[in-house]
Amino acid sequence: MNILLCCSAGMSTSLLVQKMKKEAKEMGMDAKIWAVAMSSVQQDIKSADVLLVGPQIRFKLAELKKLGEAYGIPVEMISPTDYGMMNGKKVIEFALRLKKSRC
Amino acid sequence: MNKVNYFLEEKVMPVAGRIANQKHLQSVRDGLALAMPLLIIGSLFLLISAFPIPGYREFMTGIFGDMWRSKILYPVNVTFDVMSIFASFGIAYRLAEKYSVDPLSAAAISLSSFLLVTPLVIPFTPTEMTETFMVNGIPIKYMGSQGLFVAIIIAIISTEIYRRFIQKDIVIKMPQGVPPAVSMSFAALIPAGFILSLMLVLRIGIEHTSFENIHNIITKLITVPLSLLGGSLGGIIISVFIVGLFWSMGIHGWAVVSAVMSPIWLILRDQNRMIFMADSNAILPNIATDQFFLLWVFLGGAGATLAFTILLTFRAKSKQLKSLGKLSFGSAIFNINEPIIFGSPIVMNPILMLPFIFIPVITALTTYFAMHIGFVEKPCGIAVPWTTPIIISGYLAAGGKISGSIMQIINFIISLALYYPFFRMWDKKKCEEEDIMEEMVS
Repeated sequence: MNILLCCSAGMSTSLLVQKMKKEAKEMGMDAKIWAVAMSSVQQDIKSADVLLVGPQIRFKLAELKKLGEAYGIPVEMISPTDYGMMNGKKVIEFALRLKKSRC
Repeated sequence: MNKVNYFLEEKVMPVAGRIANQKHLQSVRDGLALAMPLLIIGSLFLLISAFPIPGYREFMTGIFGDMWRSKILYPVNVTFDVMSIFASFGIAYRLAEKYSVDPLSAAAISLSSFLLVTPLVIPFTPTEMTETFMVNGIPIKYMGSQGLFVAIIIAIISTEIYRRFIQKDIVIKMPQGVPPAVSMSFAALIPAGFILSLMLVLRIGIEHTSFENIHNIITKLITVPLSLLGGSLGGIIISVFIVGLFWSMGIHGWAVVSAVMSPIWLILRDQNRMIFMADSNAILPNIATDQFFLLWVFLGGAGATLAFTILLTFRAKSKQLKSLGKLSFGSAIFNINEPIIFGSPIVMNPILMLPFIFIPVITALTTYFAMHIGFVEKPCGIAVPWTTPIIISGYLAAGGKISGSIMQIINFIISLALYYPFFRMWDKKKCEEEDIMEEMVS
């Protein structure tokens, strides 16, 4: 499963990526998780199964959802609370739910 | 408070979204981002050429000869001094990408158009002569920050025309069986021909006016007024206020404000850089560069939250706030503070929104006046990545002057003192919540 995260510069989402990777390892999940700046999403979305968007750029959500539709993958905003507490576990579960609801 | 929240969510948010999402503004920002890593590398060489140690220059001259300084500045010539070329290329590329038309063709046409409206001659005065001749060549003075707005405008115009041709399918069609790569290469012919003809008419038309070329027009009508506005104290305060306001709604305020302001700040920064390069002790003209905001005003990220993070880590009684402090302490040193903004939370929290918005306004004022009276060196144009920790970043961005670090420390202490009462209030409230939760569990 490939989980792509994006925010303005890909900095703070990369913090969350670290936590998620740790969590994925503990869950024994085979996942590629990475973060990019919003200007690079067009490239990276090609290899993603799900795109999660930082709440601070939620004004981009509509546009990114449209992009997600073109590639047939779900795009959603990360809950601000989970984002603030850098809750890797909850965000991974969220990503899994999104993926499932799509299949 | 609900009324305020409602107003922010319903009225201000959509505006923020529209600005940050506006295709052209976004392409300008993303296109300029192409030059940023190169400017940082150029800065490295600039720093080597002007290292602030007494006797350093003499030492280097002793080893490498008289010309060492101009040679070490070669990389500056191909980064800072040609940033409009990157802009012309990068902005068209990003804009074309948003319209899903071939970005590389759009970028090439944009660059060609930019050069076409620029007079390709350089004034040249031979030694021992007083007469100046015009010789052929690409005038470097228009390729740097001075040509930036022309590059931006031409990139947008040429790409807008280009994508209309492609989207309306006004292209040379190849018979079936011709490989797609071949027909792609012909697709750009009609739009490119049209765009370059248009630019030619523009160029010749302006040559007949007293402006002589488009750069003179844009400088006079756009660059100068906008730099005055953006560089003024009023412009600074408004920018800082809006960044804080948007972030306290959970919107990336910097992304919104810099979408509008980044070309102006870049030009102001580069004016300082050119003067600093000629003489590293010169008094620089501009305060409002992007570095002013990122490195001196927003210590630890928007809201100047470094002080707040330290309070959370070392003084919080609430378990949740303390663990948030510990969690985000490391990233706060590198000026990343989303965990603090969403975790505390500052977003839509009346107790913390107030200091979050207004403390940076105060640090902007202190820094502005300290730089204005010459107590602190102005940002010299050396591009320091915004993730650089304070003290180091201030020293480097001020051109290797310790006053830059001192200003950061002063601002840090101010923000610490001003955050403290609000921190106490919120910590107390959180403790009470946690107590109630515990009682309920037991």
